[in-house]
Amino acid sequence: MTGSNFSQSRKKNSFTDDHRPGIGETAIAVNSVSKSFKELRAVKNVSFSVPRGACFGLLGPNGAGKTTMMKMLYGKSPRDNPEPGQIRVFGYDPLDNELEIKQVSGIVPQDDNLDVELSVIQNLMIYARFYGIKKSDAGERIDYLLEFMELTEKSRSRIRELSGGMRRRLIIARALINNPMLLVLDEPTTGLDPQVRHLIWDKLRKLRSDGVTILLTTHYMEEAFQLCDRLMIMHLGQTIMEGAPADLVRDNIERFVLEIYDSNCGEIAVSKNYRIEKSGGSRTLLYSDRIAVLEKLTEKFCSGGFYLRQSNLEDVFMKATGRDLNE
Amino acid sequence: MNDEAKNGTIAVTPPPVYSRLFSVWYRHFRVYTKNLVSNGLPPFIEPLFFLAGVGLGLGNYVGLIDGAEYINFLAAGVIVPPAMFTSAYECTFGTFIRLEFDKVYDGMISASITIYDLLIGEMLFAGTKSLFFSFAVLTVVSAFGLIPSPVAVLCPLVGFMTGLMFAALSLFITSFVKNINHFNFYFTGLLTPMFFFSGIIFPLKDLPAPLRIAAEFLPLTHSASLMRSLCFGRFPVRLAFDLAYMALFTAVFGALAIRMLKKRILQ
Repeated sequence: MTGSNFSQSRKKNSFTDDHRPGIGETAIAVNSVSKSFKELRAVKNVSFSVPRGACFGLLGPNGAGKTTMMKMLYGKSPRDNPEPGQIRVFGYDPLDNELEIKQVSGIVPQDDNLDVELSVIQNLMIYARFYGIKKSDAGERIDYLLEFMELTEKSRSRIRELSGGMRRRLIIARALINNPMLLVLDEPTTGLDPQVRHLIWDKLRKLRSDGVTILLTTHYMEEAFQLCDRLMIMHLGQTIMEGAPADLVRDNIERFVLEIYDSNCGEIAVSKNYRIEKSGGSRTLLYSDRIAVLEKLTEKFCSGGFYLRQSNLEDVFMKATGRDLNE
Repeated sequence: MNDEAKNGTIAVTPPPVYSRLFSVWYRHFRVYTKNLVSNGLPPFIEPLFFLAGVGLGLGNYVGLIDGAEYINFLAAGVIVPPAMFTSAYECTFGTFIRLEFDKVYDGMISASITIYDLLIGEMLFAGTKSLFFSFAVLTVVSAFGLIPSPVAVLCPLVGFMTGLMFAALSLFITSFVKNINHFNFYFTGLLTPMFFFSGIIFPLKDLPAPLRIAAEFLPLTHSASLMRSLCFGRFPVRLAFDLAYMALFTAVFGALAIRMLKKRILQ
């Protein structure tokens, strides 16, 4: 597998080796932080912490404040100050020490901001310079990263010639150029095909197993479930719930759900045996901890008009943030 | 250090400021030199047209200016405008595209680059381009034997200062422009008049007093004054005033530009 020698290469191209995480230490500590844009309070009193080497996910509908929360960590968006809120990233406050934080972090933004006037390899060379990486070290590191993100053949290409998936992989490679201890990814796989998505997941898992702390936002519940040790669901700038993905599902939603697509097929009576949730359109969801209850119900419905399944993170998400559009 | 260790702060050494500024400068240099012929040739060609068209054509109808032939007067003048225009283009259209369309700045400040590094590096690069442009024009006009004084070798330095000054002004303009077409107002309304009323193609001393005084407030007047002094090897007292004006103008507009662009780039 490509990239299987990441640890070795890390030693060879040592930029930040002296700072490998110690177990149990905190990478990110956020304490009742708020952020206002004119009238809008985009982030309200949010707190969370991420231990070193963990993967932490921020979930929430558009406008929940996820991106703003991330930008506050590395100085792109200054938090409301003076206010009691506090942010520490590896012990540094982004209001005072954004450079120290950025020096050991890799940022993968939501918008593609590659330098379209430069080729793939030039993008990486120039970016290495921003971190003060020596040219010879950068060359070696870039070869390795292009291979890691499976872009070696594209190294001389112009940015405009790359597909969306290649650009995304290049941005991730760029974020890894300084061998970061923290990788911040804002919707890393939005709009990508399943092959690229799975490739990126593999790479992120590899990085995590190498001790890189990962903070990501996503709209894909499967992505969150697969990658994250802990999740925080945000809504309208506030934290709604936080926990390990499996715990969130176990603690916040009934175990099974019956989705009914065509309510003309049969009556749905109100009952204390299940909880009814109406979705937009004609879809109705019935939640229960007892699969037998739901199975019994399906007998009255015409085949193809329903779907009985285990509940998942998306059900929790919808329950927490509501089924209405948030825009 | 001990306090930091207690708080679990790791030791990190970001690159020093000169290295950060250089990396920003180098990014622009790299992009500019990718199209070396199309970017580098015009400053050598343009003055030829100017001197031929205006100098030879119009020059026949003009007498001596301060004891110099018109073509010599003009030759010293034409070193100035390219320095202004190249820097102004770089820090209006160029900056706007990097800021709004390509989002290059967002990428850059995600690395170990502060907003100050980004904007000062940008100004330094604009200054460098102006230095190169005034060097190119100086080479051409010198080749025709139109520059009397050897002190003129310092002209590119004045070009650099001119570049910094107009980078500062242009970034300031860019900081509140929301639509790229609005730069036309800046070019047509401010830079073009400056080109005509800064003592480049005719001396200011014969203008009516109000215009002459107004011209003293234009930044380009001071670049032209410095440039011509070097070309003729004359050093009147007003040069100190020219230098001070340019330094102050650059500092004030540079500070304003950074302050406003910081608000725009950081959210």
